[in-house]
Amino acid sequence: MKLRELAYSRSGDKGEVSNICVFAYDPADYDRLSERLTADAVREHFGDLVKGPVTRYEIPTAHGLNFVLERALDGGVSMTLRVDPHGKAFQNLILDIDL
Amino acid sequence: MPPVSGPGGRMLTIGAGSAYANDRLEPAAAMADSGRVSYMGFDCLAERTMALAHVRRRRDPAAGQDERIADLVPLLAGYLSAGRKVVGNFGAANPDAAGEDFAKNLHAAGLRGVRIGVIRGDDVRDLVRDLDCELPELGTTVRALGDTLVSANAYIGAEPVVEALRQDAQIVLGGRLADPSLFVGPICHELGWALDDWDRVAHATLVGHLLECGVHSTGGNFEDPPYRVVPDPWNLGFPLAEVQDGSVVVTKLDGTGGAVDERTMKTQLYYEIHDPSAYLTPDVTADFSTVAIEDLGGDRVRLSGARGRERPSHLKVLVGVDQGWKATGEMSYGGPGCVERARRAEEIVRRRLERYAGEIDDIRFDLQGMNSVFGDRLQGGYPTEVRLRMAARTKDGDVARAAVHEMELLYFGPAGGGGAVGSVVPALGVTPAYVPRELVRLDVEVVTA
Repeated sequence: MKLRELAYSRSGDKGEVSNICVFAYDPADYDRLSERLTADAVREHFGDLVKGPVTRYEIPTAHGLNFVLERALDGGVSMTLRVDPHGKAFQNLILDIDL
Repeated sequence: MPPVSGPGGRMLTIGAGSAYANDRLEPAAAMADSGRVSYMGFDCLAERTMALAHVRRRRDPAAGQDERIADLVPLLAGYLSAGRKVVGNFGAANPDAAGEDFAKNLHAAGLRGVRIGVIRGDDVRDLVRDLDCELPELGTTVRALGDTLVSANAYIGAEPVVEALRQDAQIVLGGRLADPSLFVGPICHELGWALDDWDRVAHATLVGHLLECGVHSTGGNFEDPPYRVVPDPWNLGFPLAEVQDGSVVVTKLDGTGGAVDERTMKTQLYYEIHDPSAYLTPDVTADFSTVAIEDLGGDRVRLSGARGRERPSHLKVLVGVDQGWKATGEMSYGGPGCVERARRAEEIVRRRLERYAGEIDDIRFDLQGMNSVFGDRLQGGYPTEVRLRMAARTKDGDVARAAVHEMELLYFGPAGGGGAVGSVVPALGVTPAYVPRELVRLDVEVVTA
């Protein structure tokens, strides 16, 4: 099952760091999310788009997880030549992860 | 309009007026005309905006401020004549010019005697040069930038905003006032909260964080049909907040589209935040990790439980770096073989640009419709069309124009290319640095227009 079936997300940028927060639609799915949606799983899914470490923060009160992806924006919003310099679309790429 | 008494004590109602330098003005006008808010906070800056503003000021010493002031002031005339207040980082690279623009346009709108507070001192170019600050993302120091250093602005906090409000300013503006601080200032001033009362400052920062991105709290940057849709996304309004000690209700104006619900609040609450228990601003180290979110229905959400610790000892500075020019060019290919023809086109342009190899700092080609957003991370079937995109960075404007021209010349081969577009724009990078806060000297001047 794709993450998109269970959760919603938003990505943002600061310099060359991207953060993507992910929230379970149904609080009952939060345990499953936190078990399966590991930092390693996100790291692997994003592959060479991300050059630095991926850190996961748990936010149980919001049934959410926040992923911080370092060196994920090809030198940063203002430096990169990428089509999507902010990583706005990262919020959609993460939802394609197979849980 | 002072704070009113609410069920949980004194309450201040404050609204958003802008989320970036090019934001729409109609939602700001609607907020002003609603009669519901006594303050509006205008965030006019994104990371690159300051550097771009410095480039404008370099060309014209009277420029570098927000460019919407002349259009905005008439929309706020009724709001201001009712004594309501505005706080914004309209100053960008030139706070004094922004103050003058406000004064001139207030007079033109028939408003006299409005007190305008101008905050100066966020421009720290000399300081970062003197300290030869480290630039961690570039792995070098400021000195290595030489003449390519365009700007250096410290993110400054609510202190000077409160000072200007104490001096009866009705419009408070500065340069790189931090986004949440535009709201923290008025909230702490009106509700009588000390700026070292960390839990309360964190609560005010929570409010600022939820308002400073405008429609991001009301259904913008949120939809994913059919999973997530909001009503009338073509008519999103800005959020407003009813702030009390310990809790806040975020809502939106009646008659606007979008939604304020548990989901739109959560996505904004953790937007552009790294460690949720340590969100660093010039005002506080805020802990949003245990914020409680209560959806009251009817586009009203109550949030509470932000906690604060002492503010960081250093201020973040964004240093703008001139990197020359960025050239982009695009051409579309369709039908059978479109991918192969686009790849051939890339090869042609690469070969044609070989003569500039030493002058092009970086170049990339993408196939839009296949791999431009996620690289090879998602694989689809063979597309019905692709758009070849070239992007290059060079210090030489002529080389940039030549690269765009080569993309246009793809009309003559390989075959079937259509719809060329291209542009050459200044390439401005921004990169962070950190300076001890006590070295950043701020100045507040309140004048009667």
